[in-house]
Amino acid sequence: MTNCNVFWGKRLFYVSFLLLSLPLFNACIKDEAANAECDITGVDEEWLKSLPEGTILGNPNIQNNSVSFLCNPNADRTALDPRFTLTPGARITYLDKGVEKDGHGAVRNFTTPQIYTVIAEDQVWRKNYEVAFLPFVPFERCSFEDYKGEGKRGYHKWLQPCEYNGYTFMSDYCWDSGNAGYALTGMATVPEQFPTVSVEGGVKGRCVLMTTLSTGSFGKNLNMPIAAGNLFIGSFDVSKAASPTGGARKATKFGLQMAAGEPICLEGYYKYTAGPTFTDIHQNVIEGRRDLCDIYAVLYEVDPDPATGKITPLNGNDVLSSDRIAALARIAEPGEPQQWKFFSEPFVYQNGKSFDEERFRRNGYSIAVVMTSSREGAYFEGSVGSTLYVDEIEIKWREIHR
Amino acid sequence: MVKSNRIIIRTLLTLSLAFSASTAFAADGENKENEPKETDFNLLRAAIKGWHVRLAAGFNIGGTSPLPLPKEIRGIDSFNPTMNISVEGGAHKRFEHSNWGMMVGVRFETKGMKTDATVKNYHMEAVNEDGSGKVVGAWTGGVRTKVRNNYLTFPILATYSIGKRWQVSAGPYFSWMFDGEFSGEAHDGYIRDIDPTGTKAEVTRAIYDFSDDLRRFHWGLQAGGEFRAYKHLSVMLNLQWGLNGIFPSDFESVTFDLYPIYATLGFSYVF
Repeated sequence: MTNCNVFWGKRLFYVSFLLLSLPLFNACIKDEAANAECDITGVDEEWLKSLPEGTILGNPNIQNNSVSFLCNPNADRTALDPRFTLTPGARITYLDKGVEKDGHGAVRNFTTPQIYTVIAEDQVWRKNYEVAFLPFVPFERCSFEDYKGEGKRGYHKWLQPCEYNGYTFMSDYCWDSGNAGYALTGMATVPEQFPTVSVEGGVKGRCVLMTTLSTGSFGKNLNMPIAAGNLFIGSFDVSKAASPTGGARKATKFGLQMAAGEPICLEGYYKYTAGPTFTDIHQNVIEGRRDLCDIYAVLYEVDPDPATGKITPLNGNDVLSSDRIAALARIAEPGEPQQWKFFSEPFVYQNGKSFDEERFRRNGYSIAVVMTSSREGAYFEGSVGSTLYVDEIEIKWREIHR
Repeated sequence: MVKSNRIIIRTLLTLSLAFSASTAFAADGENKENEPKETDFNLLRAAIKGWHVRLAAGFNIGGTSPLPLPKEIRGIDSFNPTMNISVEGGAHKRFEHSNWGMMVGVRFETKGMKTDATVKNYHMEAVNEDGSGKVVGAWTGGVRTKVRNNYLTFPILATYSIGKRWQVSAGPYFSWMFDGEFSGEAHDGYIRDIDPTGTKAEVTRAIYDFSDDLRRFHWGLQAGGEFRAYKHLSVMLNLQWGLNGIFPSDFESVTFDLYPIYATLGFSYVF
């Protein structure tokens, strides 16, 4: 009898311990802290639809500290009332003559970019956003002289000088790179340690230096062992970049509706040195393989949503294979010039397409210029230490009356 | 692993020596008339007089947890106590004309668990393997953790007997971790660079392994009781409460201290 009791006592204790332990743990869980995040998570669709058709061109570019819209140059920007979606519990404000006011749907003059502050639910964390409505200006050329420090680590982000109605403004919605993703690996503490940096020694003034770098153990654990330096027209959505099945490629959105006419050729200067050891995604050394740089421009078809102006951009998976590609200009065999080398590559029409002037007039083309220090960098193949310098990029267009 | 095997063997050797000493002593005690007169042996006898040797075996069930749970931990989605064995050899002496006594021992034991927790805005830092960089950020999402630490533990306990069958004990213990694992993965969430306002990146799965950063020396308090079900066999239950964290205090990857808190349920055989 005693024996039986002891046995069941033990068994009962063990079972009840297991049953009790989970609720016990969860009972110890403290009340949830108020949300500490303060993001602009999106642009209110209803507000976008309420704008006159054709006001906004393409997709708004929402970054961690900025929201940029490309807008019709004829649109009235003096009184716009943008509405955004925010992190739950957060609120948006702006300063009006030193007084904090509710920023949701507030009418403001956007002939210059305006600052908003998003305050988290916990009232502690806050973040400033620069919201810009940039008149659409076609892409002609870039000398890469202008850049700003972005993110908490200050990596470089290039600004495109745009001329519009006789005055020049800097557009931060043109060039982007994978620097924001590299910031998260913790490998770089100063801007000069990032894969894409602005350096002295260009053909004229400054130029862009792209370097293929190791991403350390964080990148290796995510199956992204290297980061090729890159710079392209488009945007990089870092929030989606770390997903395992080609997240970085999907997050890289190439091209903007900045065509100036029918593209003739892509020109510029570059120099290149491949790194010593070529590795694949698993970091296996591939003997005898030499890294290659890549410089190209793609003109492809887009069909904007009539209500919101939104488009579906090409991404890292289909930028060179989509059947929407109309024309491609690419240095097929760039080699390794050690001195500045001028190139001029003609646009070659693809997929049986030719230039469609009617499509051009309704903003149905996107143009992307893409440069990288490792041609297969999007698939994490390349040589750590490959360096590509680029300067004075220009697209020559045959002008077409709009 | 070779090292830990050697320690296990050494422990078993110590235990078997203690066992044979006690049987010799028991046989000796029954034949008082024939006890040897040798001084050395008398000294030894005096030293072990009243000491009872015991062997115990049981399971450790518990967790390695921050106390109290920080607000960043939003839920424990699964908890697996895993199979943790404890084997102990000890000696107990009850003081004359008293219910009090003392017990010392040596114990080979494993303290382990597996958990899957949901965290929100959890500050994390991870140094790259080659020391070249440091990931610093705020993590929101799932964290799977596997802990499996093997210890050689030395408890020093005061005992108090209640009647013939019950005995309670309490005192400090000191542990040497000779083999440890602390690994897991962050999954299905996102990290923000440096703090909650930093750049956000969704991460499906990122593994981590802090086994090499575990602290070797541990100590804590132990309290429990045993019920003598048979003349030689007791059922026992002990609670071990760790008083130093499993990581050194300057370890930055896990920002709060994790304390091992385990219950041992088992049997002991008293010779």
